Amino acid sequence: MVIKPLREVEPLERGRIVKVGGRKGIRRRLLDMGVVVGAEVEVQRVAPLGDPLEIRIKGYNLALRLEEADNIQIEIFEGKL
Amino acid sequence: MTKKKITIALAGNPNSGKTTVFNNLTGARQHVGNWPGVTVEKKEGSCTFKGYTINVVDLPGVYSLTAYSLDEVIARDYVVDEKPDVVVDVVDASNLERNLYLAVQLLEMEANLVIALNMMDVAESREYQIDVKELSRLLGTPVVPMVAAWGKGTPELLDTVIAVAGGYQKVSGINLQYDHDVETEIVKLEKLISDSSLAEGYSPRWLAVKLLEEDEEIIGKIRQT
Ligand SMILES: Nc1nc2c(ncn2[C@@H]2O[C@H](COP(=O)(O)OP(=O)(O)OP(=O)(O)O)[C@@H](O)[C@H]2O)c(=O)[nH]1
Ligand SMILES: [Mg+2]
Repeated sequence: MVIKPLREVEPLERGRIVKVGGRKGIRRRLLDMGVVVGAEVEVQRVAPLGDPLEIRIKGYNLALRLEEADNIQIEIFEGKL
Repeated sequence: MTKKKITIALAGNPNSGKTTVFNNLTGARQHVGNWPGVTVEKKEGSCTFKGYTINVVDLPGVYSLTAYSLDEVIARDYVVDEKPDVVVDVVDASNLERNLYLAVQLLEMEANLVIALNMMDVAESREYQIDVKELSRLLGTPVVPMVAAWGKGTPELLDTVIAVAGGYQKVSGINLQYDHDVETEIVKLEKLISDSSLAEGYSPRWLAVKLLEEDEEIIGKIRQT
């Protein structure tokens, strides 16, 4: 089982959120946007300098700053899609 | 006795079609001002329907009512303090899961809620099949399917608003249960709040949940009283 921070997840890799941390305000905002433990995410694309990155979650696309993505831990799904 | 004057607030996620619904309802009878003390635009309008005068307030688009942004504070304060007769939550049917988060928050606030299930055309084009009756049953609130961009669903929405405002159609809402430890604290706080004068006009349970969330706005308000 591979768990890594969202910033290290490659485009088209998929996984499940296992932890959402961060300062209260940032964390709350993430939870409000549906970034919750158990949700499945797929990284869609990453801007040239890695910031922002775009994820697909709960049926929609969400752009995140690296600062926010650092607070999110992902358990990567094994195997090719 | 039925009120012939009804005030409704339009809430919803950004881009869910609130302004389109607002324009359908109010046509040319609208004016734009500001929310008190801030420069955020406040749109109000009115219409008459089956003998009722219905005032409509377009709230800022928000994903949540946790009061971390000015828009959220405005939307939440309006619902809590002004107590519109009915809150219409404009929900994007093509993005149901995210949109229902706000709906659940509004139900937790014990708002008299009607869900305008908008963008049904987009949902259909994606072949989503939404069981509107079941959604309504699960949420304990009326759900009106709409395509606001085509003006579809407006009379049905108005009929539902009138029925809810007049008490002919009940909003039972949902009984949202947290886990055991949290519920224990909620019940304790709820009791304290109910026994004090704090609860005036507020749902004690909602206040208790907000206090546990360390919601600064609510803590500030309680300090003042
Ligand atoms: N396909 C489709 N488009 C819609 C529908 N309702 C609204 N739209 C379109 O969706 C876009 C957003 O609509 P608005 O009414 O501006 O949404 P809003 O909720 O007021 O958006 P904000 O004020 O920015 O939060 C516009 O381009 C509308 O024409 C609908 O039922 N179907
Ligand atoms: Mg708008």
